[in-house]
Amino acid sequence: MLLRVDNLKTYLRAGDDVVKAVDGISFEIDRGETFCLVGESGSGKSITALSVIQLLPKDVCEHPSGNIFFKYRHDDETHEQVDMVTLDEERRRHIRGARIAMIFQEPMTSLNPVFTIGDQIIEALQMHAPTMGHDEARQRAIEALQQVQIPNAAERIDEYPHRLSGGQRQRVMIAMAMACEPDLLIADEPTTALDVTVQAEILRLMKALQQRTGMAMLFITHDFGVVAQIADRLAVMKQGVIVESGTARRLINAPTHEYTRKLLASLPENLQRQKSVNDSLHRGSDTALLELKGLQVYFPIKKGVMQRTVDHVKAVDGIDLTIPQGQILALVGESGCGKSTLGRAILRLTEPTAGQIYFNGQEITTLQRREMQPLRREMQIIFQDPMSSLNPRLSIAATLTEPMKVHGIGESNEERLALAQALLERVQMKGEHLWRYPHEFSGGQRQRIGIARALALNPKFIVCDEVTSALDVSVQAEILQMLLELRRERDLTLLFITHNIGVVEYVSDEMAVMHNGRIVEQGPTDRVSRAPQHSYTQKLLAAVPRVEFGLQQ
Amino acid sequence: MSEIETAIPCQQRSYAAQVVREVLMQWGARIGIVWIGLLVIVSVFAPFFASSHPLLLSEQSQISSPLLHSLSATDVTLLALFFMVLLLSMVKISVRKKMALALLLGSAVATVCYTFISPPQLNIYEQYREQERAGSYEWLIRAPIPYSPKDYLRDVGDSGLKAPLSATEQTHWFGTDENGADVLSRMIHASRIALSIGFVATGIAMVLGTIIGGLMGYFSGVVDMIGMRLVEIFEAIPVLFLLLTFVAFFGRNLYVMMIIIGITSWTGYARFVRAEFLKLRQQEFVQAAVACGLPLRSILFRHILPNGMAPILVATSFGVASAILAEATLSFLGLGLVDDPSWGQMLNQAVQSATFNWWMAVFPGGAIFLTVFAYNLIGETMRDAIDPYTKKSAK
Repeated sequence: MLLRVDNLKTYLRAGDDVVKAVDGISFEIDRGETFCLVGESGSGKSITALSVIQLLPKDVCEHPSGNIFFKYRHDDETHEQVDMVTLDEERRRHIRGARIAMIFQEPMTSLNPVFTIGDQIIEALQMHAPTMGHDEARQRAIEALQQVQIPNAAERIDEYPHRLSGGQRQRVMIAMAMACEPDLLIADEPTTALDVTVQAEILRLMKALQQRTGMAMLFITHDFGVVAQIADRLAVMKQGVIVESGTARRLINAPTHEYTRKLLASLPENLQRQKSVNDSLHRGSDTALLELKGLQVYFPIKKGVMQRTVDHVKAVDGIDLTIPQGQILALVGESGCGKSTLGRAILRLTEPTAGQIYFNGQEITTLQRREMQPLRREMQIIFQDPMSSLNPRLSIAATLTEPMKVHGIGESNEERLALAQALLERVQMKGEHLWRYPHEFSGGQRQRIGIARALALNPKFIVCDEVTSALDVSVQAEILQMLLELRRERDLTLLFITHNIGVVEYVSDEMAVMHNGRIVEQGPTDRVSRAPQHSYTQKLLAAVPRVEFGLQQ
Repeated sequence: MSEIETAIPCQQRSYAAQVVREVLMQWGARIGIVWIGLLVIVSVFAPFFASSHPLLLSEQSQISSPLLHSLSATDVTLLALFFMVLLLSMVKISVRKKMALALLLGSAVATVCYTFISPPQLNIYEQYREQERAGSYEWLIRAPIPYSPKDYLRDVGDSGLKAPLSATEQTHWFGTDENGADVLSRMIHASRIALSIGFVATGIAMVLGTIIGGLMGYFSGVVDMIGMRLVEIFEAIPVLFLLLTFVAFFGRNLYVMMIIIGITSWTGYARFVRAEFLKLRQQEFVQAAVACGLPLRSILFRHILPNGMAPILVATSFGVASAILAEATLSFLGLGLVDDPSWGQMLNQAVQSATFNWWMAVFPGGAIFLTVFAYNLIGETMRDAIDPYTKKSAK
């Protein structure tokens, strides 16, 4: 047994409050195996990882009980069992990096921007092997970079982090963690910030490295798709406790605990699809509500003293799209493909450079602010980030009633408040929440308020910009179901922007795949997701980690 | 670390209330606020604290109050405003209504006071003391410091530059200046100038800076470029020399000074506001407000400004301090007000006479120091309360 965590408790202090972040968990990891900790945000999975490597700030955290036994391998290959909780800091430092390495979620900030990637790997190497000369360390660093498949490693070793893409940076992080050949690698959501195609590559790479070196992995994630790809054994965490653990296959196919079942049932691919019933209702409509013709949004790149435009970023590069009344069109693409810009350009939140937008037959591309005003009632948007989509200084009542007042909905303030209350209740919140401020709500609740605000003006068309990507799966399921209900009730037309294929398949009638500012493939969701025609769509769909249910144990 | 934050129960307070509470928890800010509060009270009730006019006197069984008769329009306006603000703060109505009411009533009171109150132009301070010596009053009640700031004690004879508590007949707690006036009395009346120049100059600067910076930040592009050039031009103006020039041309006038300090120091606020607006403009709640078709006024002042106000308030606190220093500097150079007392001008007197009169330097100097220090303490604590990084490390 390489690592044995025994009844570990980690309490965090914030002022007078004590938060039981980890509340008595036990698990074991063997050499060469991958152990996944799965849970929703706030379940204590990251705190567990930081406790194992003892990286939590001493002044806010304490371990009232528990041991973390780690089988420490001395340089002469003898083994000794040490307890990370009680070990002195000097010896912990020898273990960190050399025997237990860690990679983090955000590759953009986990490399130091003022050093070359080579310097950072060499420093880690020499720290743990002081006798190693610089040339040898450099050679080892190049090998480490080659190992993580950085092309042309001997030259790229002298590059600074900003010249690398997110996926490449995560590779460098892995190279750095692997350079000292650790026995245990802790990966805290290493692929969450990456696109699916990159995620698939990184997961493949980590699996290959593990097979070659025989290290153990403690893998932390919230994504069951990733779990299914990589885990040997897994544990499901909820509020600081492990509710269920076992082999990955057993747990995914035959979960015994209620919470695990609920989590698995919330995955978009497992949600009950009610679409078949109203397919005929919504597909049939052939009056186009929204039509885009050759829409372009270019952002100029300016240089020099005179701010001369030298080039353009072609965020949206000639898009033709038609959304019939009552349809849900999903716009899929990886980060930076221009899908959000397109969503904003349709509402004229970003000015289009060229092309036309027709809404209900009327061209709105060049309308003045005042002419646009009546159309604002018809078209609304729901944003991705529930933290920044509500004004922190306004009560929910003010947020909901102000647009109504501007558009002359409701005769008096009392009537508008009653309308707002009804809206809140419609999105499954309480009427008394009207008088609260955004910081008092959770992410899911804020997203509901965001939906209520979009609905306040009774729009016909709503752009949903990654509405569920910041939410946990169980909340995501509720929000998606509610959006589908609302669309049925109010005959809404939705443009659903997302990168999550599972969500697309659950929610949409038709999907369009976007790549580098252009739509590469468009068609009914069932057809595109089962039999993609374009090579990019094929690549994208192949990269999506899927949970395969019903496999033999 | 996001797990730590989500695990802590949400507090049921608005952001502003949280910041105020946090500021008040710090000792530095408490001391600062107490000192400023003291100054406000002293400056509002200055005539009652220090005046040669008796509060009440009885002459041939006739009771009269020369002090009340001698009150100037400014005195009455200040008193009325003080009590009005006190009353308003107790009434339970919304902050916005309070502000509107305060502005309306304040201007009404000021107009009434300045049109109807005209105290006697000529003050003969000696008459009360002479009459008292002659025994023509049955009894009289004096103010705690029975000297007006411009009462040069001509009846007492040589009264100039007496050290504190050295004169035998009169008690001068802080001594007298070269003209024979009581230093403490002059300091009490000078606190008005110190406070008003800070508030008015900074107020002008803040309003200008917020408007220009807000427009620059929200519209960006060409507006931003022109605005930034304007900022750079104004930053290149040496304020002290501009003030000197104006004093040379237009004479010594407190209001001109306030306006000049105000219109040359708005650039800092404009930079702050611009940065905040640039950041907030892209926030999703602002985009949502645009998508809802809200009018520009509402987007700028309801959705963006309140969220970007915090750093401006911090800057204001430091701005008040520097405006007070600017006035003190001018007065020290002898370019301040002629006869009206001011702390800087008193410092000037301390170095002008042949001997060094410590009481003329220590007391006004200490007052300037404490006031500037108090504002800096408040600003410092506000910055810590607003900045999430310093807040975390303090815990």
